[in-house]
Amino acid sequence: MPTDVVMPQMGESIAEGTVIRWMKKVGDKVERDEPMFEISTDKVDAEIPAPASGILTEILAAEGATVAVNSVVARLSGEGEAPVPAGAPAGAPAAAPPQSSTASATAPAEPPAKTAVPAAAATPASPQAGANAAMASDVSQEASGVSPSDATPVAKTPVPPKAAQTSTEKTTSTDASSQEDSGNVAALDERRRTKSSPVVRKIASENDIDITQISGSGISGRVTKKDILDYMEAPQAAEQEHAQQPAVAPGSRPAVSPMSFKPGENVRIEPMSVMRKRIAHHMIVSKQTSAHVTTLFEVDFTNIDKLRKRYKEHYAERGAKLTYLPFIVQALVSGLREYPILNSSIDGESIVYRKDLNIGIAVALDWGLIVPVVKNADEKNILGLAKTINDLGERARTKKLSPDEVQGGTFTITNPGIYGGLFGTPIINQPQVAILGVGGVKKRAVVIETDNGDAIVIRSMCYLALTFDHRIIDGALADQFMAKVKVAIEKGQFTL
Amino acid sequence: MAIADTQVPVAGGETTYLEAIRQAMFEEMERDPSVFLIGEDVGVYGGAFKTSAGLIERFGAERVIDTPISEAAIVGAAAGAALMGMRPIAEMQFIDFIGCAFNQLTNFAATARYRNGNGCPIVVRGPAGGGVHGGPFHSLNPESFFLNTPGLKIVAPGTAYDAKGLLKAAIRDEDPVIYIEHKFLYRRIKETLPAEDFVVPIGKAAVRREGKDLTIITFGAMIYVAEDAAKELEADGVSVEIIDMRSLLPFDEETMLSSVAKTSRVIILHEATLTGGIGGEFAARIADKAFEYLDAPIKRVAAIDTPVPYSPPLEAFFLPNKDKVIAAARELLDY
Amino acid sequence: MTEQVTAVAPPTSLTHEELRQIAYFLRLTRSLEERIVSLFRQSKVIGGIYRSLGQEGESIASAFALDFSRGDVVAPLIRNMGSMIVAGATPVEILRQYMAKGDGPSRGRDLNIHFTDLEKGYIGPISMLGDMVPVMAGIVLAGRMKKKNLVGMVYIGDGASSTGAFAEGINFATVQRLPLVIVIEDNGYAYSTPTYRQTAARTLADKAVGYGCAGETVDGNDVLATHEAAKRAVDRARSGGGVTLLEVKTFRMKGHAEHDNQSYVPKEVIDEWGQRDPIEKFERQLIEWNVATTDDLAGIQKRVKQELDAAVTEAESSPMPKPEEALLGVYHGDGFWERRS
Repeated sequence: MPTDVVMPQMGESIAEGTVIRWMKKVGDKVERDEPMFEISTDKVDAEIPAPASGILTEILAAEGATVAVNSVVARLSGEGEAPVPAGAPAGAPAAAPPQSSTASATAPAEPPAKTAVPAAAATPASPQAGANAAMASDVSQEASGVSPSDATPVAKTPVPPKAAQTSTEKTTSTDASSQEDSGNVAALDERRRTKSSPVVRKIASENDIDITQISGSGISGRVTKKDILDYMEAPQAAEQEHAQQPAVAPGSRPAVSPMSFKPGENVRIEPMSVMRKRIAHHMIVSKQTSAHVTTLFEVDFTNIDKLRKRYKEHYAERGAKLTYLPFIVQALVSGLREYPILNSSIDGESIVYRKDLNIGIAVALDWGLIVPVVKNADEKNILGLAKTINDLGERARTKKLSPDEVQGGTFTITNPGIYGGLFGTPIINQPQVAILGVGGVKKRAVVIETDNGDAIVIRSMCYLALTFDHRIIDGALADQFMAKVKVAIEKGQFTL
Repeated sequence: MAIADTQVPVAGGETTYLEAIRQAMFEEMERDPSVFLIGEDVGVYGGAFKTSAGLIERFGAERVIDTPISEAAIVGAAAGAALMGMRPIAEMQFIDFIGCAFNQLTNFAATARYRNGNGCPIVVRGPAGGGVHGGPFHSLNPESFFLNTPGLKIVAPGTAYDAKGLLKAAIRDEDPVIYIEHKFLYRRIKETLPAEDFVVPIGKAAVRREGKDLTIITFGAMIYVAEDAAKELEADGVSVEIIDMRSLLPFDEETMLSSVAKTSRVIILHEATLTGGIGGEFAARIADKAFEYLDAPIKRVAAIDTPVPYSPPLEAFFLPNKDKVIAAARELLDY
Repeated sequence: MTEQVTAVAPPTSLTHEELRQIAYFLRLTRSLEERIVSLFRQSKVIGGIYRSLGQEGESIASAFALDFSRGDVVAPLIRNMGSMIVAGATPVEILRQYMAKGDGPSRGRDLNIHFTDLEKGYIGPISMLGDMVPVMAGIVLAGRMKKKNLVGMVYIGDGASSTGAFAEGINFATVQRLPLVIVIEDNGYAYSTPTYRQTAARTLADKAVGYGCAGETVDGNDVLATHEAAKRAVDRARSGGGVTLLEVKTFRMKGHAEHDNQSYVPKEVIDEWGQRDPIEKFERQLIEWNVATTDDLAGIQKRVKQELDAAVTEAESSPMPKPEEALLGVYHGDGFWERRS
């Protein structure tokens, strides 16, 4: 009986895919799991392995054709080993079960809100250093701007579960019991390989990874948590290591339409890393989603300087480096409490006010950018914030963050002043609606009004730039918020 | 040992688990005149294990009551006295005898508040556990007989600090508390304790060892088995986290689940027999609330499903031990 | 009220006022139980009804010997509603309890007369018979520790006296010389088990010998005699004489519960005991002693009827408990019981 080969859903919002290249031609013998064709989608490009062994009898989608997800792109003939699941008609419906049974990426059974909820939902382009789950949560929210009809976040191919069904078919057949037993064992091995464990499915789903692409060190070849985390750290190496068949050309690189260069032009072409691609994508989507406006406030940090000086040693003894950030975060918390719309998201035509104050702190890495999140920042005191921020920063740099720590942010702080810049105009971290850019704290001569007249004094000054989404936050409100933050920093009582 | 160590305990310094219990009772009886001790041989004899040595000399026979052999009356009278505003500590000479008071505990004391708003602040304490060649009637771990009884609280300390702090908390608690002390630990465990008054809150677990590859959820004497297993696994590069539950009802779900979320692999280790043991409740909670974090099935290591045997090779086979824990760990790590 | 020359003085230390009060309690208890049966047949009361018909006399007479103003405590069983009435339980709260109302004494959590008010001086039982003996031992033990000179009275039936809890309780109380009166009501049957199948002891009071405490047997259908015997026991307890096992002989005129038709009891026995109804006997005596006239007694019945009419109306209008409330009040701290108005 023939097996259908379908266009997989590579991400929750993906609706179609383009066949880039067929690696097999009609009449070829195909082994199960062997790469059959290559596709390109909005989110990711990938090689798709065969769902069963057989002969490729029909190609329904030629190279270059763009077809809907789940539509049949080819057929394999059975060699008595891969019957079509009983009762499953050829075509889309047959593909449906694999959708939900693709344990590789479908962790949550229920469709996550297709809204701006930064849950453990679908994910960005490709697996990356574990740190990138942050971007994961952002990009999942392209849903907020894009199509609302997304359902279960299935990442990659549904193919192996078909084979799972195959095994199941075998075991329900009326063959000799020994065949049934081995069928049962095969089914169990299959389940382990394709479904692995809850945490692996969760990580895979959040990072848009197909676990069948990873070689597993667990029993039955199961992908373990360590396997997938390692894979995310070194995807290039992993991809090559896990190339399905040696015969496959380095076709894992997605085909990009090449620019043409005139002969003799002096250029060096460097393909973007996956993280870079994701950042690029996120930035442009953010700009296209929010109405970015930046407002700039000049804030006197002298008060904070004094506190830092006084408590620096004390804090160092307690293992915390006391920077400006804990104070800024607390000032932000007081501002966000009073102006909660700055801590919200947009869902269609609704504003989703988030009760948790999870402040993301952007950290620049050698290889890119990551935003670990201080969860429930309003529940921490200065010491708690300092320790948390130090710890997150350290682990960001050493790639030891967990997916949970780069998700769920509701407001972001970035530090354009770190290399001496005066201020920045940061881009909003979707699906949030505001981001604070902290400029450099510098000593400046400023004018203050005293009872004895105006005087010029030296104060530590800093420009704080708030970029906000003018769809729901008007300038006046943004400024009121910033005024509150300014007052909190300049005159706030901080408990140290 | 002398018949009764009638010394008034001095808090602070190195203290055995047993002495910690004695100190807790002494200090609470000093602090609160409504606290009294009632049980068999607790007064003149100072208790079968000497946990109440010196109490009757200090507080008199009115507050340290030697009873006939009557566990139902001991617990029933304690419950009645508690309704009148006293704070009795009812001792079961061996916790195995608590079965004789099962009805008073589960049907009267546990339900008094729910039925009529009458708080029943009794503590029922007694030595539990095996490993001392005690045989089938002197080695029980009884917690799961009572786990299914709303209205009761159950604690099981494994360290001297917790033994003292939890007994104080139990005495001060407004609800009936079953305090399970482990006889194997009485004189084998010593710790330097603070001299000042301290309480260990009921319902909070303690992280005994931090790790990232595997979590062991345990309590009582098994925390030392877990520790031994962890040390050996560490030599192989496996980092084990040990959570000492300390309180079994209510239990610290949050600490348990956070640990599982961190390591993704969990062994539940308890000395009571496997089927129907509290490990099942913990496992169900983890499967329900931390499913998404599991990288392997939840494993339980517990005594085999038999009564407690007497002969040493039988008992050794019966009880959980370091090797059984390590074997379970390997299974999880290889999964 | 006219005094007749041939009037006989009642052989009791009780005053006329107290005797009339007992008469009122007797009628109130019986009539309240009748109302409850009637409401049960209208499905307004649910669960089981356990009448104390024929035993109201001994319940009230014995409880009347306590001094609740001194902190005395009584532990009734299901056929001792009379003793709770003496302690101050009101018909409306008893009705609310039977009707499972949310503002009843146990807020719907327990049924029957299983409720407690230690201020007034009564503690509701649990269904495991015999258990209240150790519990009451603990209560009077606490009373002693707190230096109050209070006495406890706990009821058990012929059946309950077979339990281990009873044995442990009476033994412990006796050894500790606690101020406890154990009223053991031999009403002929424990459900369907006649007393002669319950125990081989000659009388239940004989068990006192085994435990080493005082024991006495009295006619439970003679209100005055029961009261005097109870008073002796209470005085003994209060003066440090320890435990009394007071056996009251009476008869359960109805089945174990409303659903039980007592077919295992010979009809002659029921008839015979019917001639010895404690309330009728007591009222005859009051008239004989010139403590009350027939008009007075009719007046009591009228007063009781009015009181119960009002109580039933009030109880019927009480709300049922809110379902979610089921979760509350298991442990200290959620304020559920403190919130009770």
